[in-house]
Amino acid sequence: MEKVVIKDSGYRLKKATILRTKNLTRNEKFFEIALKDGSSLDHEPGQFIMVSLLGIGESPISVCSSPSRRDSFDLCIRAVGKVTRRLHTLKKGDEIGIRGPYGRGFPVNIITGNDLLIIAGGLGIAPLRSLITYVLDNRRDFGKVHILFGCKEPKEMLFSDELEQWSQRTDLHYACTVDRADPEWAGNVGVITTLIPGVDIEPLRTFAAVVGPPVMYTFVIKELLKKGIPKRQILLSFERNMACGNGKCGHCQIQNLYVCQDGPVFNYEQIKNLSEAF
Amino acid sequence: MKKPKVGIFDFACCEGCQLQLANMGEQVLSLLGSLRVMEWREVMSETWGKKLDIAIVEGSITDPHAVERIQRIRRRASVLIAYGSCATIGGVNGMKNNFVFDEIRKYVYGDSYAFFPTEPTKAVHQVVEVDYFIHGCPVYIPEVVTVLKAALQGIPYYVPDYPVCVECKLNENVCMYDRKVTCLGPVTRAGCNSWCINNGNICYGCRGMVSNPNEKGALDVLAKYGIPTSLVVNKMNMYNKCRELDEP
Amino acid sequence: MEDTQYVVLKKDRFEEFIAALSSMQKLVAPVAKGFGAYAFEEVTSADPIALNYIPTILPLKKYFMPQRETLLEFTLDRRSHAEAVVEYEPLTIFGAHTCDLAGIQCLNMVFSERPKDYNYLLRKGTITLIGLECNDYCDEYASCHLVHASFPSGGYDLLFTDLGDYFMVHINTVSGDRIVRTAGLCEGAGSAHMNELRSLRDRKRTVFRNEVPIKTKLIPELFDAVFGARVWDNLNERCLACGNCTNVCPTCYCFNIKDELDLTLARGIRYRVWDSCQLEPFARVAGGINFRKERSARQRHRYYRKFRYPVDRFARFFCTGCGRCTRACMADISLKETLSELIKESEERVWKKWL
Repeated sequence: MEKVVIKDSGYRLKKATILRTKNLTRNEKFFEIALKDGSSLDHEPGQFIMVSLLGIGESPISVCSSPSRRDSFDLCIRAVGKVTRRLHTLKKGDEIGIRGPYGRGFPVNIITGNDLLIIAGGLGIAPLRSLITYVLDNRRDFGKVHILFGCKEPKEMLFSDELEQWSQRTDLHYACTVDRADPEWAGNVGVITTLIPGVDIEPLRTFAAVVGPPVMYTFVIKELLKKGIPKRQILLSFERNMACGNGKCGHCQIQNLYVCQDGPVFNYEQIKNLSEAF
Repeated sequence: MKKPKVGIFDFACCEGCQLQLANMGEQVLSLLGSLRVMEWREVMSETWGKKLDIAIVEGSITDPHAVERIQRIRRRASVLIAYGSCATIGGVNGMKNNFVFDEIRKYVYGDSYAFFPTEPTKAVHQVVEVDYFIHGCPVYIPEVVTVLKAALQGIPYYVPDYPVCVECKLNENVCMYDRKVTCLGPVTRAGCNSWCINNGNICYGCRGMVSNPNEKGALDVLAKYGIPTSLVVNKMNMYNKCRELDEP
Repeated sequence: MEDTQYVVLKKDRFEEFIAALSSMQKLVAPVAKGFGAYAFEEVTSADPIALNYIPTILPLKKYFMPQRETLLEFTLDRRSHAEAVVEYEPLTIFGAHTCDLAGIQCLNMVFSERPKDYNYLLRKGTITLIGLECNDYCDEYASCHLVHASFPSGGYDLLFTDLGDYFMVHINTVSGDRIVRTAGLCEGAGSAHMNELRSLRDRKRTVFRNEVPIKTKLIPELFDAVFGARVWDNLNERCLACGNCTNVCPTCYCFNIKDELDLTLARGIRYRVWDSCQLEPFARVAGGINFRKERSARQRHRYYRKFRYPVDRFARFFCTGCGRCTRACMADISLKETLSELIKESEERVWKKWL
């Protein structure tokens, strides 16, 4: 058996260093990361990377910071599998491997000049945070911006400091809700779809960006269509099992589409007839 | 890194799986380089009796004394590995559960049977919490190595939840059903690299059943090959009787 | 012009030819495994080669993307380091049927698509492929004509066609030509030989017919109509989800990636292994949701990955009609039957619309 090193391999890793971590909730942890060679990740909002721990494995994770910050990027990781659980034990200065960025993110150049309705459910705020922070960095390029956020309970709220800041801003409209309140909660109670009818938008010039748990999509899409937003302007990001990120391993397929290469962000027109998407 | 302290224990079993460990030769030596074996009745006379990082348990739990003993081991051990079919699924000891206990106690122990209490045979996880499962009768050494490495790394090991057929096909064996022989590969969970079939034997189901078998489909297949269901159920129960005690 | 591409190998020189091939580099060929089963295995002489064989248990993909393949080698000490590698072994494959050549053509397309898979592509470059034409059907499970794989259409360096007491050898590539010259056992093909080849092909056209009652070009349309068919529910009850159909399929290439440390726990590899969309955990995410929980959905996915999805992406079917999935299925799920039932069900629907 002969063996050669391949520099162009799709499985080659870039070294990266953890600059900062912060526990967001019991299950979700925030990481700020920089590539070791000093280069920029150069991602689009909504793209993901494969995070690698040698000897344990890889896991696909959305980048949750704006590409306008070029010297580092953020990840928000929920501890669910063997890679993500181990990631939670890492701290500042530790090294990880990454591949990517992969896939198609939110088409910000097309959204530019339009209004934007962002709908985040639970951990869905992570990929959307890359879009939101990008939009805020380039606020002048966009029309009205609405952010609707929902989660199960107040204690599951991610990035609550930033959510608080966004709610104070005059250049965007922010609303949030929880499925179940706790005694300190003074805000809306109910599923996220209850916030949609109250949003004042001009449907034909509005893009909706929706990320949340799979059960959320059908209901949210229904409300958005009721609002009159064209199908092409409803953007959804999907989570699937992934091993390669290169459109080969087959795990992430939704019918004829590969989430890792054709997605993870799709417009509703592309996938409305794909029953495996919902 | 401090070397983890390991204890190896046996309950109702033939000790054959421990013998596999002892037979590992060089592999066991390099692995033992990463471990400190504190207790192992089969190969050493010392006992330790204190906290363990890893307890490796062979055998099934068959009497009240064993229940107490496994509970004590569990309290001492940070990680508990159920080792071999007797420990992971009850194994052949489960066949006892087919009988009336008083009758078999009389048969085995004669008149003084009253001094020998017994209980339905249980797999270890049916009594205490188990962190890692190493199935097999006997265990398959490459899988033992994989699990021990996972335990040392502190990451979970997921037993393959698909049938032995998968590995058997990858090994390009001629299917036993094409040889007109009944084989339990289609309903038995993989992880053994189809060890038995590679060597010309059938699969006896020693690793337990996959989690979501298509039972109706399996019965149709048996009917197609003219195999009575009772025969396969008997074959399956040889190792898997204790699955009846698992929570649904 | 055409004739220089053809040479003749007399059968009494076949043994010498195989010995010559095997002296050049490792040679594999179909070998009988008993119980009517065959497998590609290493040979050093013509003796064990089965010239008349039904498709082997595993297809040729086992040489192009091995069951287990290292992607990365790494060390875990303080300055951890990882390097992407490809392992390969130069190889000549003798006796590939046209269905299996078609299978490799499919895989070539998949792994050449960007982002390219250099593990596959580098290894592919070291493999010499010698085909062997089927003069008749191998058995009743084949459906090669339906998917245009019953006649040779490239994908080989040399192609052997059995014409009685000699093989007609089609030289398709420079490296095929080199083998023929190095072996020095073939002679030029004359017009009589060419006529015999033509008449074999003419005869084959009467033997090979679409094995399922549908025009090949209508298959994509059929699949557009049957996503919700009852046929899939029926497969749900029968399929054991053992993954045999995909593991033996020449065009199934799904894989999983795993890490493994050596006994020192300081070095390791990342490798890929064949995976199957038919297995329970395939589409399950770490959070627990399984996006293809039902066996019916998994079987349907398999059929669409053969007959519908690749038509959009690669303009061809990813079924080569080899019949392996049917032969390997313990539950007797037959590709030909499933297609026939889908046709029947779609016709019922058309009639219902008209009545």
